[in-house]
Amino acid sequence: MSKQQPVFIARHEELPLKNDSTSLFLQIMVSIAVFLFAVTLSGVLSINAMLQNWNDSILGSLTVQIMPSTNINPDKAVAETLAHQNKALDVLRNLDYIEKAQPLTDKQLEKLIQPWLGDGIEIKDLPVPRIIDVKIKKGADVDFMDLAYKLAQATPMASVDNHKLWLNKLIQFADGIKILALSVLALVVMITSGAIFYTTQTSLGLHKYTIEILHLMGAKDTYVAQQYAKRSAVLAFQGGIIGLLIAVPTIFGIASLAHQIEGGIIGEAKLSGLDWLAIVSLPVMASVIAMLTAYYTVKQTLQRMM
Amino acid sequence: MLNNTNQQNAIIEMQNVGIRYGQGPEILSDIKLSLRKGSFHFLTGKSGAGKTSLLSMMYLAQKPSRGSVSVFGHNVNFANRDALAMLRRKIGVVFQDFRLIDHLSAFDNVALPLRVCGMDEHEVRKRVMELLQWVELDRSIQATPATLSGGEKQRVAIARAVINRPELLLADEPTGNVDNDIAPKLMKLFVELNKLGTTVVIATHSEKLITDFAYPRLHLQNHGLKIFAPNDPTGLGVRHV
Repeated sequence: MSKQQPVFIARHEELPLKNDSTSLFLQIMVSIAVFLFAVTLSGVLSINAMLQNWNDSILGSLTVQIMPSTNINPDKAVAETLAHQNKALDVLRNLDYIEKAQPLTDKQLEKLIQPWLGDGIEIKDLPVPRIIDVKIKKGADVDFMDLAYKLAQATPMASVDNHKLWLNKLIQFADGIKILALSVLALVVMITSGAIFYTTQTSLGLHKYTIEILHLMGAKDTYVAQQYAKRSAVLAFQGGIIGLLIAVPTIFGIASLAHQIEGGIIGEAKLSGLDWLAIVSLPVMASVIAMLTAYYTVKQTLQRMM
Repeated sequence: MLNNTNQQNAIIEMQNVGIRYGQGPEILSDIKLSLRKGSFHFLTGKSGAGKTSLLSMMYLAQKPSRGSVSVFGHNVNFANRDALAMLRRKIGVVFQDFRLIDHLSAFDNVALPLRVCGMDEHEVRKRVMELLQWVELDRSIQATPATLSGGEKQRVAIARAVINRPELLLADEPTGNVDNDIAPKLMKLFVELNKLGTTVVIATHSEKLITDFAYPRLHLQNHGLKIFAPNDPTGLGVRHV
């Protein structure tokens, strides 16, 4: 070895991809994509959680409604309605698959109709239906037609609502939003892949001279493709982290706004630990997509060169 | 026709090769050539005669417009990209315009053929340092091509071409820009490599080089190729060497 030999010789990359003008563009594109993906994904996962909550809470319950008596004497009308309610309760409490049948109190009923009629109302003065909240035992197989028949025999004023009708409509609505959100996610992936494809092609054009020399020195296409794949993976990861850092407070902001909505329906849309894991892993996913897209773009583009 | 032994020993073999660019006329026509393993040739011809085109076919940067080219026994016309890359690793090329990578140091430029082969970095460093000392560039290992003189760039280009101990060395005017005292030293390097078994083809305009070193000459003229015996200015018109 020579005495002039330096202790350390820094190895420079053959393709100076870090300084490419396309690098910043790629980072910005990926950060926007990850931001949109994270926010949309959190929406999809929230909707899923919400549907699950609705299903869980509604599968084990039903509502029996007692229509008010039409007696023109208000006191008699109340007494007759309560008598019908008691008959329905007798039927319900004697069924082995019913865990609990509890009529709503006047205060609970007042609270229910308060949004429509305002404060200071007396439920006894109004011809409103009485409601019995029924809890069904876990795993019980309920024949709703048979239940409706038994209640009708006890009192013609009773009707059963197992919530299926309005729940199906909500599920349809939520499913529609989910499909829309998933389409947005697919679009984001496609646009990001397209952006990586074009930035890689632009970069290949910029470094055509160096790549030709590498080929003449015996480099295989994979040698060049690996350098691009590595660079794209790093840039996409960095961009993804930036996108995620913006997305997380945005998700919390949207969740906070959703919680302010009265009614509690949207309030049930909470993200689980697994959901958060999926969201925070987005930069890694973006990195993998960028790496594969860049790798195959380079391989495909170089095929056209000798 | 070549006999089997010749075919087996042929490093490069061309049959009825023609090259044209686009719809233009043929630059080279009906080239027939067979270079034996371990041979040494000069390649001569006027500017525009097609020397660079012929060399570029030899270093696999270009396929012929017609005819067939075999390098190390592989028909280039049908070789896939990875196979071409593996063949190129056996070939060292000194380009007339050097073709150094501007952002890389002299060290990194010379190390390029070793690194693309995936050689261990310790071995790369050892080999590159030895060669840079030999071409008297050990004080400029960190210098980029922009800061090197024409002669220094040429020495880097030559070092890069021979670092991988190639089986075939192709050089386009390798001594054109170097000082008079360096040129014989570089030629000595080519001769030594040739003695070790490397097949050498040197494109040159230098009559001095051709007369100083008694090797046969491939001469391009009127789109065709003639082969001259060493120190034979009249030419023998031999087709196969």
